[in-house]
Amino acid sequence: MSRSIKDLFVKGIIYLATGITLSVLLFIIGFIFVQGIGLVNWDFLTRDFNEKVGYAFTEAKDVPLSIDEEKLNDINSLDNRYETALEGPIYVENIGAAISKVAYKNHSTEREQIVVTYLEKDSPLQSAIDSTGAEIKIGPDYMLQSINGKDFTDLSLEEVAKTIATESGELKIKIVQPGGGIKSNIITTLYMVLLSLLVALPVGIFGAIYLTEYAKPGKLVNIIRFAAESLAGIPSIIFGLFGMAFFVVALNFQISLISGSLTVAVILLPVIIRSTEEALKTVPMAFREGSLALGATKLQTIFKVVLPCAVPGIATAVLLSIGRVVGESAALLLTAGTVAQIPGTLFSPGSTLTVQAYYVAKEEGNIELACAVGIVIIVIVIVLNILSRITSDKLDVFNKK
Amino acid sequence: MQAIKRKKQQEKIIEGFFLVCAFVAVVSVLAITAFVFYNGLKPFISNSYPLWNFLSGVEWRPGSNMYGIFYMIVGSVFATLGAILIGVPIAILTAVFISEMAGSRVGKIIRFAVELLAGIPSVLYGVFGLGIIVPYVLKISPMAQGESLLSTILVLAIMILPTVVSISETSISVVPKAYREGSYALGASKIQTIFKVVLPAARSGIMTGVILGIGRAIGETMAVMLVCGNPIAGIPTSLFDQVRPLTTNIALEMGYASGVHQELLYSTGVVLFIFIMLINLIVNKLVKAKVGS
Repeated sequence: MSRSIKDLFVKGIIYLATGITLSVLLFIIGFIFVQGIGLVNWDFLTRDFNEKVGYAFTEAKDVPLSIDEEKLNDINSLDNRYETALEGPIYVENIGAAISKVAYKNHSTEREQIVVTYLEKDSPLQSAIDSTGAEIKIGPDYMLQSINGKDFTDLSLEEVAKTIATESGELKIKIVQPGGGIKSNIITTLYMVLLSLLVALPVGIFGAIYLTEYAKPGKLVNIIRFAAESLAGIPSIIFGLFGMAFFVVALNFQISLISGSLTVAVILLPVIIRSTEEALKTVPMAFREGSLALGATKLQTIFKVVLPCAVPGIATAVLLSIGRVVGESAALLLTAGTVAQIPGTLFSPGSTLTVQAYYVAKEEGNIELACAVGIVIIVIVIVLNILSRITSDKLDVFNKK
Repeated sequence: MQAIKRKKQQEKIIEGFFLVCAFVAVVSVLAITAFVFYNGLKPFISNSYPLWNFLSGVEWRPGSNMYGIFYMIVGSVFATLGAILIGVPIAILTAVFISEMAGSRVGKIIRFAVELLAGIPSVLYGVFGLGIIVPYVLKISPMAQGESLLSTILVLAIMILPTVVSISETSISVVPKAYREGSYALGASKIQTIFKVVLPAARSGIMTGVILGIGRAIGETMAVMLVCGNPIAGIPTSLFDQVRPLTTNIALEMGYASGVHQELLYSTGVVLFIFIMLINLIVNKLVKAKVGS
């Protein structure tokens, strides 16, 4: 009797522990979604993180100043984006747009701004160009700060509307492109994934081929295996230090996309070697023997028989690697920087999604924004997880045949 | 004949190329060690900063040329120990549940959850810690801030779960069925069998998992950086004191450090590296011992 009570008690503790593990996971994911979901929308995904100030050149429509009540009603019903507008909207005919004055919040600062809230299809703002002659697509949420040198600061919305309406002909408008999005981080992450895989994948796969197909057990193989294992155990901050000393300083690549992706490539190496090795090992010996018996050389056997069979395993390696790159942060903080911009060249810096999440949490104390970035990351991680499950199942199916 | 010979040569060359690729891993390890140690030992060899002051100092004030990391070593060790103390029992029991008690479907779901937990990037654990754990700790803390040793321990305890669970689970599931059957035949209950027979048999595998967990905890940077407080001085004496583990010291200041300051950040890396190498060595010994038995 006492034994069964004791057993029951221990069982309860085991259930409790499992419950804790599960609820921690659910709690973390739940927290990130609840905190961040309010910020995730199309604008968040497609906008730059930083605001961009510039001049737009266009030509005013030739119309007298008027405020069209009917249009205003349309706008109001269309646009609840600026429910909290301080003033407006006012429709200004000669730029074919409605403007409002809002308290504009960016990251941690707040200021009053004149914002475009609605654009006509034939609005001159739609066909504006910048100083280099390139087209600018001025859309809703763009801020207007001056027109032909007349500054809007401290003006009421009505005064601004009048100022704009009295201008004619060529217009030179100081605009601010809204920020707060993570487009640049998504693109940087993509670049980072592609570049690091480009380097690590061939090296890792060929290395694994050597280890499984050529190497005879001995000192050399042991050394290589030991190295790969040690590499897997080194924390990412140490990789960061190495990347900083070697790629950034010694090779003078600066803090850049290339330094970051090469550092990450080293991190990926053991992941790729190990999974490829495992995939190669599952290919039955008989396949190789059959191929060799048909007169194929060893190399032909490897590339025509063994590797094609190991494709699902290699695909799993790729998926795991992508997950690693997306999740990597400490090493990239030191080698690729925290600048939220799309790297123009291999040698310009850029921050990936995780680094951005860290940056906004740490430097701006903005948990919601960090969680919003986190949602994007978690969605990527879950998709990769499911995909890798599918590919590794494929490998199993192949073996069962 | 000629053609065959050429082909053979070609194959040899390509084999050599494969060997070079395999060797990249070795070169990387050597290069990482060399670069970190070279930069990290420079200030002590050139006598620009005394090694003893570096290792025993309890203040890190780059402005006044004081670079002591003893309190960081203590912080790292405390945080890791705490995380192991909390995380390991939960992880092992979860592993027991998955492999011994759960049906195949439930087991699969929990395994998937654990994998997902492993896949969440460390930054997000930090964000979670900053958003949830730190405010809660602040509520019960006598200090003015929630960033503390306790917050760090809790975040790390969560982060080592997947490592310890998955490795323990693997080693529990390879314990031969005959062991369990023998135990049942002797009249032992399921729970007795698990704790007296299965777990002892899986001991070395579980130990490997725990030590890898230690490695993960001591090397963790980004999550810890958000919740530990990063003070510039002071050995932590209570759970509510702020800590500054070795890793965060590097990540926090590397961006703008220069000269001796930068070199001493590399030295911090060297100390961390030595810890990690010790851990790797132990894991290797354990794995070998397991193969031997």
